[in-house]
Amino acid sequence: MAQQSDGIGGLKYDKSKKAWPNEFNIFIALILIVAIFEALGQILPYMNGQSFLFDTQDRFDTIFNEARLRIIILQVAIIGIISLGVTQVIISGGIDLSSGPLVAATAMIVMSFAQTELVNGNPNPKAVFGPWAFDLPIIVPIIVGLAFGAMIGAINGTFIAFTRIPPFIATLGMFLICRGIAQWWTRGQPVSFPTEAYAWIGSGMMPVIWFILLAILCHVLLRYTVYGKHTYAIGSNEDAARMSGINVKRHKVLVYMIASMLAAFAAIVLSSKNLTAQSGMGLFYELFAIAMAVIGGISLTGGRGSIIGTVLGAMVFGVIQSGFTYVKLDAYFQLMAMGAIIIGAVVLDQWRQQRAASRS
Amino acid sequence: MKKTLIAATAMMTIMGSATFAQTIGASIARFDDNFLTVMRNGMVEYADGLDGVELQVEDATDDVAKQLDQINNFIASGVDAIIVNAVDTSATQAMTAAAEAAGIPLVYVNRQPINVDDLPDNQAFVASNEIESGTLAAFEACKMARAEGLAGGASAYILMGQLSNQAAVQRTKDVDDVIGMDMCNFISIIDRQTANWSRDEAQDLMTNWMSSGEPFDIVFANNDEMAIGAIQAMKANGMSMDDVIVVGVDATQDALVAMQAGDLDATVFQDAFGQGEGSVDAALALARGEDVDQKVYIPFQLVTPANLDEYIDRN
Repeated sequence: MAQQSDGIGGLKYDKSKKAWPNEFNIFIALILIVAIFEALGQILPYMNGQSFLFDTQDRFDTIFNEARLRIIILQVAIIGIISLGVTQVIISGGIDLSSGPLVAATAMIVMSFAQTELVNGNPNPKAVFGPWAFDLPIIVPIIVGLAFGAMIGAINGTFIAFTRIPPFIATLGMFLICRGIAQWWTRGQPVSFPTEAYAWIGSGMMPVIWFILLAILCHVLLRYTVYGKHTYAIGSNEDAARMSGINVKRHKVLVYMIASMLAAFAAIVLSSKNLTAQSGMGLFYELFAIAMAVIGGISLTGGRGSIIGTVLGAMVFGVIQSGFTYVKLDAYFQLMAMGAIIIGAVVLDQWRQQRAASRS
Repeated sequence: MKKTLIAATAMMTIMGSATFAQTIGASIARFDDNFLTVMRNGMVEYADGLDGVELQVEDATDDVAKQLDQINNFIASGVDAIIVNAVDTSATQAMTAAAEAAGIPLVYVNRQPINVDDLPDNQAFVASNEIESGTLAAFEACKMARAEGLAGGASAYILMGQLSNQAAVQRTKDVDDVIGMDMCNFISIIDRQTANWSRDEAQDLMTNWMSSGEPFDIVFANNDEMAIGAIQAMKANGMSMDDVIVVGVDATQDALVAMQAGDLDATVFQDAFGQGEGSVDAALALARGEDVDQKVYIPFQLVTPANLDEYIDRN
């Protein structure tokens, strides 16, 4: 029996159940998942006692398997950048389904302005424009990409704020429009062979550096600025936010613009990392970005969630993905296991929330 | 110019003014697939060059149900022949039945329908024989490994395409068959995983594999995009591409450039453009009531640095 004490107005509450931050739970879950893979490495006979995170073959200077640590975060960094924007949209009470196709469309457009003239000494076989578009300064494709993202976000936000169609529908429409733009741009042909300067943006661990920088920026935005306070306020209670003098419509447009610009930047990093842009890129990115935020403890009804949670959610994804390859899980089972983990995470979180609600 | 032509063709088909010409309706599994785009362009350009042939191409967006709807719409608007690049090769029975009931000829292109052996007389299949592709690439890798003195033992990874796709299953099986031969049984597979035909996923998967530190000599990829992804990952990890044999399938331009740079060791050319042309030819012949071979095979060709120049402009 837990210790009971008298609260205000004679209400009983349990001191031992004092709430800790939600992010802490996700962090524990992350460690648990790592421990499970670590244990599997010892139990499964074909693993020869390999370690998941630790360096057992003396390949690195530290005790960790640095290569594994790097790929865990590298493989989620790009979707993670999208997820930072999706997090803000969901906190404001909306949803953005258009980010995956937006990545494809932006990548196609941006890459057309980042091509180099000579490939192995031969003319670029994938040239989209004429000679004027070869070897442009790196700032040109970046500005084009961010401007395109801002435009798509402004359209999303404007329709949602001013015509009052549900965000699900507005961004679903944009989902199709962007996939269409991506395919139409070069009639389905890939756009490859960027300049060296452009290739630098997504080379090596650069995607992770962008992810961390943008995560810090978004965290500060949401936590310490008026922008953030208004975002949470609108997501918690839109009418109350309006009556307290927040320009809800303008703010919503801004939130969607920021989200789409983050997705556009993810497209720049992705196309640079792969040295190509293809109209089929970004498949399921919008869903994985939402799933990262959800595992990170965001509430789909708005008003609750944080960037730290989303970053941890992304880490959970990275650990699971690397873990599956590490234990050589049959390719056919990976999607099933991934789906089960997402559902499990949300069920646990719901259960925790209900418990918290019944306490207060 | 091409745009106006396509627009005009589409307009005319919509208005049903097809009385004076042969109309062909084509349903392609995906518009955003690189290979299928080359094939589609082959169909469109070939049909454009023929007098009195109108080709209407639709995107099935990888949706089986949508593809069947498109075929029924073609039938309803009375086309003279239908070309199908199947989304799901095991769901072709219904399409065959629908076209047969309406008496309209049907040609399957590129992806082999499950009922390929009992197609009605006015239906045909145009493609390359999928067994050739994976086998050509895998066998070349085996020969290269022998030439490099690895016959005492070599280990390999397989990057698989989408698991629901017949070509991915077949090409993976081809690798297994090749390393089952006496001449190539020195190769052992460390792991096989899917990267869904995608360069990005292959990059991450390869990096994951390398993080285990297990040495390997060969990477078999079901397509070129994944082979390139693997190459990018290995280079980023500081591996020399002389120490590893990487083979793909498709001979895309990106892949040929990688081969020029000495990164990719072998790939297989599948004549996408030729398949597109061949499907239009077969459709027209069937519409005229002529006899057509029910299986038209456009051969695969092995591409290595030695004959690279012949292929650089082909796909």
